[in-house]
Amino acid sequence: MSPIRTPAQVFDAIQQAKAGATAFCTNFFPVDSKLQAWIAHGELSVAWHPGAAFFFRNDRDFQRLYFCAANESALEQGLAVTPALKTGRVMTDLVGNEAALSRLLPVIEQSGFRCYTRLQRLARIGRPETGPGTSSTDFAESTDAAAVLRLIENAFDRYGEQLPTPYEIESAIQHRQVLVARHDGELSGLLFFETQGLASTVRFWAVAEKFHSRRIGSALMQHYFQIHGPVRRFSLWVNSGNENAITKYRHYGYTPDGLIDQALANAKIPA
Amino acid sequence: MKSVAEILKEIRPEFDFAASSDFIADGMLDSFDMVTLVAALDKNYSISILGTDIVPENFQNLQTIEALLRKTGAKL
Repeated sequence: MSPIRTPAQVFDAIQQAKAGATAFCTNFFPVDSKLQAWIAHGELSVAWHPGAAFFFRNDRDFQRLYFCAANESALEQGLAVTPALKTGRVMTDLVGNEAALSRLLPVIEQSGFRCYTRLQRLARIGRPETGPGTSSTDFAESTDAAAVLRLIENAFDRYGEQLPTPYEIESAIQHRQVLVARHDGELSGLLFFETQGLASTVRFWAVAEKFHSRRIGSALMQHYFQIHGPVRRFSLWVNSGNENAITKYRHYGYTPDGLIDQALANAKIPA
Repeated sequence: MKSVAEILKEIRPEFDFAASSDFIADGMLDSFDMVTLVAALDKNYSISILGTDIVPENFQNLQTIEALLRKTGAKL
């Protein structure tokens, strides 16, 4: 595996995999700013095989695998001879509609991955009517970064959901993309979002367990919608098994848009 | 054969692409959409857009996408 030092290396690797592709398949959807941050923090490396490029990103105590392959056969052959999949903890994701997933899933499972969890994307068009704002929520401040990370890590599974790094949290706070609620001097809840022009995505919405049933989540969501007047498309990813969260999102008008993220774990990831 | 505008409308029917000069900055196309769009353009125009060309500046608006298609050999 070679460390990635420039975005051009990524695009060259994709190009090599795509050259002569008969059925190009990928789970790599790099956003320019994120790609640059991963490279700047030395998190990304690449392994090449004929017709396939495998990108590994360090994430806490494991790695995330992204691939670009000319076709399913090149993907299968490349996975079979990639040593990192046998020796380290690796997670990967398949993103697409049900049809696309059912085509690629057997190929990934063949190489030793097992289904770990499934996320679905929910979306709504336009902003819902919300009640009057409350003064109980506000934008996070830089001094909240550690508490934001703690709450996210306590509320979500680091393998199944792509949790932010400390530097991502600091950047999000700086760009006013984290709302928080505070009670008794503690961070009681948060809503972490990414907004770009007319689209906004809720990345994490969580209330600390001891503050449940105080309508903190609702206050955060109402604040979120209030500051997103011009946004046309709202979306988020939610664990398909989390009926409680899905019910809450449905209450705010989110419905499935057909996109699924199947997270898969290799044998080294604990069940 | 579908036009670029028709393909975009299929992917994101809620947006008015003709009214934007920067689809990425305006949040009208995300990274998943870009990959979907490349696959749809490859199929629709029987071309293969180079991996090195899958960069935001080539998908900024209708004109830049059409310029990319011409460069890749598509007949518009």
